[in-house]
Amino acid sequence: MTSGAVSIRNVSKAFGTFTALDNVSLDIEPGEFLTLLGPSGSGKTTLLNVIAGFERPDSGSLLVDGVEFITKPPHKRDLGMVFQNYALFPHMDVFNNVAYPLKLRGLAAAETRERVRQALETVQMAHLSGRRITELSGGQKQRVALARAIVFEPKLLLMDEPLSALDKNLREHMQIELKRLHDRLGMTTIYVTHDQQEALTMSNRIAVLRNGGIVQLDTPKHIYDRPNCRFVASFMGETRMLPVGRSGDGYEFAGRRLKLAQPPSAADAQWLVVRPERLGWHGDEARDNRIDGLVVDVVYRGDSHSISLKLPGDHEISIRRAPTEDKPLPEPGQTLTLWLKPEASVLVEEAP
Amino acid sequence: MTAAALDTQPLNAGLLGDDERRHRLAMFGLSVPAMLLVALVLLVPFSWLAWLSLFDASGALSAENYARLLRPAYVNSFVSTLEVAALVTGVCILLGYPVAYLLSQLPKRAAQILLVFVILPFWTSVLVRTYAWLVLLQREGIINTWLKQLGLISESLPLVNNLTGTVIGMVHVMLPFLILPLYASMRAIDPVYLRAAANCGASPAQAFRQVFLPLSAPGLGAGAALTFVLCLGFYLTPALLGGGRVAMWSTQIADAVAKFANWGAASALSVALLVVTGLILWLMKWGVRRLGTSLGER
Amino acid sequence: MHLKRLAIANMLGAATALFMATGAFAAGETLTISGFGGNLQKDLRATLWQPAADAAGVTLSEETQDGLASVRVQVQSGSPTWDIVHLGADECAVGGKEGLFEPLDYNTIKTDGFDKKAYGEHWIATNTYSVVLAWRTDVYKDKHPTSWADFWDVKAFPGRRALSTYPQEMMEIALLGAGVAKDKLYPLDTKLSLERLKEIKPNISVWWSSGAQSAQLIKDKEVDMMAIWGSRVASVIKDGAPVEFTYDNGILGYGCLAILKGSKHVAAAQKFIAGVVSPEVQARIPEMMPYYGPTNNLAFKVGKFSPDVLAKSNMSPENVAKQTFIDANWWRDNNELVREDYSLLISN
Repeated sequence: MTSGAVSIRNVSKAFGTFTALDNVSLDIEPGEFLTLLGPSGSGKTTLLNVIAGFERPDSGSLLVDGVEFITKPPHKRDLGMVFQNYALFPHMDVFNNVAYPLKLRGLAAAETRERVRQALETVQMAHLSGRRITELSGGQKQRVALARAIVFEPKLLLMDEPLSALDKNLREHMQIELKRLHDRLGMTTIYVTHDQQEALTMSNRIAVLRNGGIVQLDTPKHIYDRPNCRFVASFMGETRMLPVGRSGDGYEFAGRRLKLAQPPSAADAQWLVVRPERLGWHGDEARDNRIDGLVVDVVYRGDSHSISLKLPGDHEISIRRAPTEDKPLPEPGQTLTLWLKPEASVLVEEAP
Repeated sequence: MTAAALDTQPLNAGLLGDDERRHRLAMFGLSVPAMLLVALVLLVPFSWLAWLSLFDASGALSAENYARLLRPAYVNSFVSTLEVAALVTGVCILLGYPVAYLLSQLPKRAAQILLVFVILPFWTSVLVRTYAWLVLLQREGIINTWLKQLGLISESLPLVNNLTGTVIGMVHVMLPFLILPLYASMRAIDPVYLRAAANCGASPAQAFRQVFLPLSAPGLGAGAALTFVLCLGFYLTPALLGGGRVAMWSTQIADAVAKFANWGAASALSVALLVVTGLILWLMKWGVRRLGTSLGER
Repeated sequence: MHLKRLAIANMLGAATALFMATGAFAAGETLTISGFGGNLQKDLRATLWQPAADAAGVTLSEETQDGLASVRVQVQSGSPTWDIVHLGADECAVGGKEGLFEPLDYNTIKTDGFDKKAYGEHWIATNTYSVVLAWRTDVYKDKHPTSWADFWDVKAFPGRRALSTYPQEMMEIALLGAGVAKDKLYPLDTKLSLERLKEIKPNISVWWSSGAQSAQLIKDKEVDMMAIWGSRVASVIKDGAPVEFTYDNGILGYGCLAILKGSKHVAAAQKFIAGVVSPEVQARIPEMMPYYGPTNNLAFKVGKFSPDVLAKSNMSPENVAKQTFIDANWWRDNNELVREDYSLLISN
């Protein structure tokens, strides 16, 4: 795998009055696992289809290893793709599905067999190569689709919400497998999902899309810890946004001045990002930010309790109490004090 | 003792079982009128015909009616019926497949409007359509007259009163029967398969041949089988457009009913047609499955 | 014109008087008669059936049938709803052989003036039709075909031809064209006939299967000459198409009446049939059904016809001499095999 650099320049696409892609530019490094993350209608699938050649943009450029791809028909692009519902050919068995790209490339029968075997082994499906597609489970179809996409060793692998049809346990398992596979094969991978957990687990970088544009492009850690706007922040995790006010050269919430480790992403920051797992039961009045709230209800969740709090200004947040926590379980009506460390206190504004 | 026995009985099992049976009976009841109708207008008369075919004119049990079918006149018309049906089905596929494909690729609304034109011939009587073809195709008909006026031909083309005219007329009648099931099955093919094929490196032509065609094979098979079987029973069109040359099995049946001394002879013809039709349908079903698989594996 | 109407009125009066005398006691009965329907049945009723019914003092009710099969169903039911059926001559003969009909009472029904081939134990012919040679006058301007020999002579008379898909009359035509004498036709030499048909087959553009189709063929110039029913070609000529025909070498066929076995009105039906074939009623045919003919020769003695009507009537003494009667009994015995060979010949 020598290369696989993708350079997207000023790509726009409108469907009637709806703007699907709004002047999008994006550079993807060779071998990178990049995720396009966003809600439906954000343009992530349209962008993937533009790269695959299924959608003709209104304007823009697409360079793969320096070669202009934008007018190339899809069958000449040599990109592997895993489709949302796998799109395995129902009239072919597993072997013939995986062999199909090789046959189109005119490979000899013996070499085709060998490479299909390797690809199926990679996804641990070699034992089922004679099965009909209808006889496979969802996870097995997923693996065959993946084998078909990688069997001709494309420079670029595209995946369109490939795990969305699987149940939760299998999905989490496949996430790890896909990541390992990418580490092993090293091909540039562009992955489309609306699931932030998937994006955080697998990606080298995540591009968060909204209304046809990229809102933030960064590593998973930065995206999660340092969102550049309210949209990105609320898209990741079980986030609550608390409005903050200016106070001199700083910011305050509920009358208390906020202690911040980093300057806010923008001068006019309006929101404090509160994630339940970052709220502490213990804190230092001098060092940490204190948040007081009234306990509304306490819900048992097996691995923890979920406690809903009403904060001043009628904002509601919820936190978890692990069984290892030594503080007693609060009761509804009680006042509870929680702590947020300065490095976990992130301020964002409405838009980046 | 009694109390102990009752204790082993699952709670309400009897009541729930009755409920289930009542429900099934009600569902079955809904289909009774249709089943009675089928039995009355199809099974009973046909069984009667099949029974009659086993007796000769004097009322004795005999294979005479079936032995008759081996005479050259019957063998000839039987073979010719199969040939005509196969030819018409073939032409229908050649003409109908592209139409169904076009319709299946159009937006639903546009396709529905165009479908009306496909179904339009259903609204006219076969007799009227057949005579219309006569007007168009005959020696001094519209087509030959135009071609002669344009100087394209000097002698009229023999377009009707032969096999050509029969096939043209029958194709016109049968085309919707092929297009409709084919269109329905093509609509059901997810366009993502063609994208997947393109992504694998298949040109549009390759994707069509290796993916779309095999996936449409069941619909094509259903349409072709329907067309073929309906063609076997054609009577009017070959009689009017065939110029007497196109011998159809149905003509023989009508002749037998009208002219032979008993119903047995005609019954034997009908039974033979039914058996052959069933056999052909079965073969076609088997063949379509083979076709789909072999196209996929090539 | 006035004279003609007067003559008909007289005949009708005579016929009525004749049958009032013998048939009055049958009054009030209703006879059901089943024919081929259409214009033919309408004309038959007006010309033959109604006066005969009036004379027999019965009321007539009409049905239609499509051949011997429906007659079989009626008889097999045990109590037929039809009393009398109008069929083609060979069907009458076949039905008689199968026992579908009551024997006719030839004491009541008089056969004076009938050709011997024109009635049988169970049936009697009531009207004739001719199968004739017709040709396009715009194709054959100077020299037109005059015989079936000419029809077979494709060198002297090139052109597209048509024959019927039904072997009756066609088999006869082939033999006449081969020079077989009219009175030596039956029993038909089927081998020779089929050979002759095979010979002309490449020049037969159309084998027609219905009267309407046959008329359309010559009218639209689909063919240049053909064998066709006289009544059909007459209507084509009447429409102004450049077509002519000849009774020379024509074949005379019959429509016939028979009484269904099990009829509840046999006696009345016998009287009705006697009326239909009586010279007086038969004499109505040449005027009212041109190109059809009476089966009773005495009709031409009873009626007075203009030379024009006589020239047109296929049964006028002059025209009948040119033609040959079909032998219904021969067809009754040979129909099935000949049909098979014939259909094999035309479709192979």
